[in-house]
Amino acid sequence: MTEIRIHGRGGQGSVVTAEILAMAAFEDGKFSQAFPYLGGGGDRRGAPVQAFLRISDEPIRLRSKIHDPDYVLVQDPTLIKEVEVSKGLKPGGLLIINSEKDPHNLGLAPGIRALAVPATRIALEEIGRPIMNTALMGAFSAITGEVSLLAVLRAIRNKFPGEMGEKNALAAQHMYEYLRGMKGA
Amino acid sequence: MKLTVGAICGPAGSKANRTGAWRTFRPILKSDFCTGCGLCATFCPDSCVFPEGEVFCIDYTYCKGCGICAEECPSEAIEMVVEEK
Repeated sequence: MTEIRIHGRGGQGSVVTAEILAMAAFEDGKFSQAFPYLGGGGDRRGAPVQAFLRISDEPIRLRSKIHDPDYVLVQDPTLIKEVEVSKGLKPGGLLIINSEKDPHNLGLAPGIRALAVPATRIALEEIGRPIMNTALMGAFSAITGEVSLLAVLRAIRNKFPGEMGEKNALAAQHMYEYLRGMKGA
Repeated sequence: MKLTVGAICGPAGSKANRTGAWRTFRPILKSDFCTGCGLCATFCPDSCVFPEGEVFCIDYTYCKGCGICAEECPSEAIEMVVEEK
């Protein structure tokens, strides 16, 4: 079973990220589970929120919050100062963060394996608004291979039919190709 | 109960919640174009634009980068610039 924790701010789409990735894993023929935790301060716009995602080849019986994730997705680098985003990350686990900077200069705990992806830039390019969660989904698919890009695109189009879905699918695909291209180089 | 960051309890509690970190776009005031009409200050939902003598200032500690000031400015003196994060 793979466990993923997503950190974001209220309104950035952390909950939807978990939901769509769970749908994508399901499309891939796996079992999945997604749910949010909006914290003790209430679900307020801009407040730090978390969302959880489990992907497994077998039915998932566990229903608890995720304390020791295999992967952590961070949607906003300014969260590092407010929340301990790498808390409980498994040894060998990976933190994927939306930032243009070197992830090791962002103030993360030492020894954390981290990768920065320019999700906001790609979202601005493809969608025209700084809603970068779909680009982050593409990054998750490209880096971890836990879900296929095709399944992610299908889940995005399912969730947002019409033009919005197409633009978001493009953002995910753009990020996927960007990262896979880098790997080849 | 422990309250997380972002919760507001008590008067003036939002002062502790430095919302400037939320910005994707940063408003830049071009004083050459500013006529000093004050519409930006009127419309700013967080009162982050305020007059300082002859000119207007933006408080980046709390500005969320919503862009309403730039939208309302009749002389297009405020530009929204992507912030590197």
